[in-house]
Amino acid sequence: MKILVTVKRVTDYERKVKIAPDGKSLLTDGMSFVANPFDEIAVEEALRLNKAHGGEVVVVSVGPKDSTQEIRKALAMGAHRGILVTAETVDSDVYARALQQLVEKEQPELVIMGKQNTDDDANQEGQLLAGYLNWPQATFASKEAGLDSADEKAQKPGLVVDNGQLTVVREADGGLEHLSVDLPAIVTTDLRLNQPRFASLPGIMKAKKKKVEEFSLGDLGVDPAPKLTYVAYSEPKERQAGQIVENIDALVDRLRNEAKVI
Amino acid sequence: MSEAQCLGLSAEKGSSLHSGCATVGQAVDYGFRKDQSVKLDLFNPSQEHRMLRDMISAFTKEQVESQAAEYDQRGELNISLFRELARLGLMGITIPEVHGGAGLDAVASVIVHHELSKSDPGFCLAYLAHALLFVNNFYWASNDAQKKKYLEPTLSGEWVGGMGMTEPGHGTDVLGMSTTAVKKGTKYLVNGSKTYITNASEGDVFQVYAKTGGEISAFVVDRSCPGFSTSKPIKKMGMRGSTMGELIFEDCEVPAENLLGGEGAGLVHMMRNLEIERLALSAMSLGIADRCMEIMTAHSKERVAFGQPIYKFGQIQRYIADGYAMTEAARALVYYVAHNVGPEIQNRLGSDAAKLFTAPVGKIVADYAMQVLGGAGYCEEYPVERLFRDAKLIEIGGGTLESHQKNITKDLIRSL
Ligand SMILES: Cc1cc2nc3c(=O)[nH]c(=O)nc-3n(C[C@H](O)[C@H](O)[C@H](O)COP(=O)(O)OP(=O)(O)OC[C@H]3O[C@@H](n4cnc5c(N)ncnc54)[C@H](O)[C@@H]3O)c2cc1C
Repeated sequence: MKILVTVKRVTDYERKVKIAPDGKSLLTDGMSFVANPFDEIAVEEALRLNKAHGGEVVVVSVGPKDSTQEIRKALAMGAHRGILVTAETVDSDVYARALQQLVEKEQPELVIMGKQNTDDDANQEGQLLAGYLNWPQATFASKEAGLDSADEKAQKPGLVVDNGQLTVVREADGGLEHLSVDLPAIVTTDLRLNQPRFASLPGIMKAKKKKVEEFSLGDLGVDPAPKLTYVAYSEPKERQAGQIVENIDALVDRLRNEAKVI
Repeated sequence: MSEAQCLGLSAEKGSSLHSGCATVGQAVDYGFRKDQSVKLDLFNPSQEHRMLRDMISAFTKEQVESQAAEYDQRGELNISLFRELARLGLMGITIPEVHGGAGLDAVASVIVHHELSKSDPGFCLAYLAHALLFVNNFYWASNDAQKKKYLEPTLSGEWVGGMGMTEPGHGTDVLGMSTTAVKKGTKYLVNGSKTYITNASEGDVFQVYAKTGGEISAFVVDRSCPGFSTSKPIKKMGMRGSTMGELIFEDCEVPAENLLGGEGAGLVHMMRNLEIERLALSAMSLGIADRCMEIMTAHSKERVAFGQPIYKFGQIQRYIADGYAMTEAARALVYYVAHNVGPEIQNRLGSDAAKLFTAPVGKIVADYAMQVLGGAGYCEEYPVERLFRDAKLIEIGGGTLESHQKNITKDLIRSL
């Protein structure tokens, strides 16, 4: 089975982002970048499916040229080859349209991507791609067995492929949903689908010999104009320090008259 | 001097320390790697080095940190975590790829020791004893038959390795060792003992130095050798995530084919391996300093005294700023020397200088961190008291500070 899987280069969620003086963009100087954590889960799932069913895992990144680093990491984890689509500003729509072209070119049976990219948290790329391709989609893939289960330790895939059909478990309010979709399909991954592996050192050494093709949006015939403009960024309000009140009456008074919550 | 030469990446690698290298620590984009869009620097000279650092750093945060305090308390090696390092392919960093290693250099080894020691220097010491004191040491000293027998089980982590040099009567004065090996037919009979040997309890195989006649020879000794035993672990102040003990040889029978590189070749093996060992120990000290800097800086902003965060006090600023400057100097020195150490490059002066300078940095910065944290630093709630205990070892193990002073002076005088 040929699987296409995405890795987007996003700002490191452990670092504080800084807003540029113009208030319309984020400063990337001195920022560190990582692979979108949801995408890493997607890569892990693709590798597990590949182990079970054979075929090929192709990693794709749409973004700045430095995204080769995130592609290399996925190759070091075990993916077979990479494709980089270089693009300056990527909104969800440009992202989905670029992927659409690659899917048409590569003809995978399955596309696995993170449910959202932790830089903009838009949570719509997978859905947009399914729409553009007119493919079935199963979003927020999770699994029944927990991350400390024996299945997880044995690196069993959570997605079940059988006879051209894919079964996906999703977490819903108060229970689990089991979806069945026909292949080819788009799957987006939730947090508890799997625990991504570390790239081993031999994997890292092998990754440098693996092929990474590069295209521009123009090469793929994708209109680079984003549909989304960022108008302004602002810092979250600084949290006020807590206050200690003398007694319950004072607390009730403050809640009623100051916070106006009761 | 070009940037590449300055960072020791030229074909001609000198054995002495060059100073005045303006580009140290800055991101440098090497022409010969233009195909890769990544900025390269002293600390991550290739994309593989950077990926290795990212991997080991994530592994340390996710799996090493959480168990460090517990194994320190128990005074035990976490053997299953140790085997995880093997699964990640980290036991043979410096071993060529044809023999199952990664074929990387001393910088790569430094990266792993540096990152692991931010969380657990004790555990890292067991890794060092296995991967460098045994695997690396053995690899460069052994023939094909010996490699066939001992390399695979130690690269896979199935067997734990160690190295025995120090004796109860001879530490710094290692050439005065009294363990002997006498050839009897197809065997050597070894008598004597080694002490303070890391991984002695868990170890399956050791590289051991003994005197054959007047010369030092190296042997591989495993648990199947009759007359070989190990003591109970010796309790120690720090580095308690690894164990140490004695290796005891009582008419111990070692097959003659376990002699590494001929009688009298032991000294060369010993000296060559000490260089990378000292660098790795320096990297561990650097890891301790980095972690302590991080903890004390964050604490100085959170902790309020006399109505203001304590970083506003000049005395606290001195701990933070002096600690930072020392740590950065240590970082530049360790990585710079690491570019100039390898199986084919002798650099005793560099590796002794790195350890002489860096060992006290870990200890001093841990001390500063404890001072900035006050009572909290002295308590087990923070890792500082553990790192403080661990840091002291680096002034003793792999050569005492005084031995580095002795060696450096000797080498400088000799070069006149
Ligand atoms: C936790 C730990 C792990 C270790 N692991 C190993 C291991 O795996 N394998 C191994 O072989 N060894 C190991 N060692 C031993 C270590 O290498 C020695 O402790 C070290 O070399 C010092 O030797 P010593 O303890 O005999 O001290 P000594 O040599 O007795 O030194 C005592 C003091 O005298 C000073 N001194 C000695 N000679 C001179 C001189 N010429 N000039 C000035 N001062 C001098 C020393 O610097 C020191 O201050 C380990 C030690 C520890 C503590």
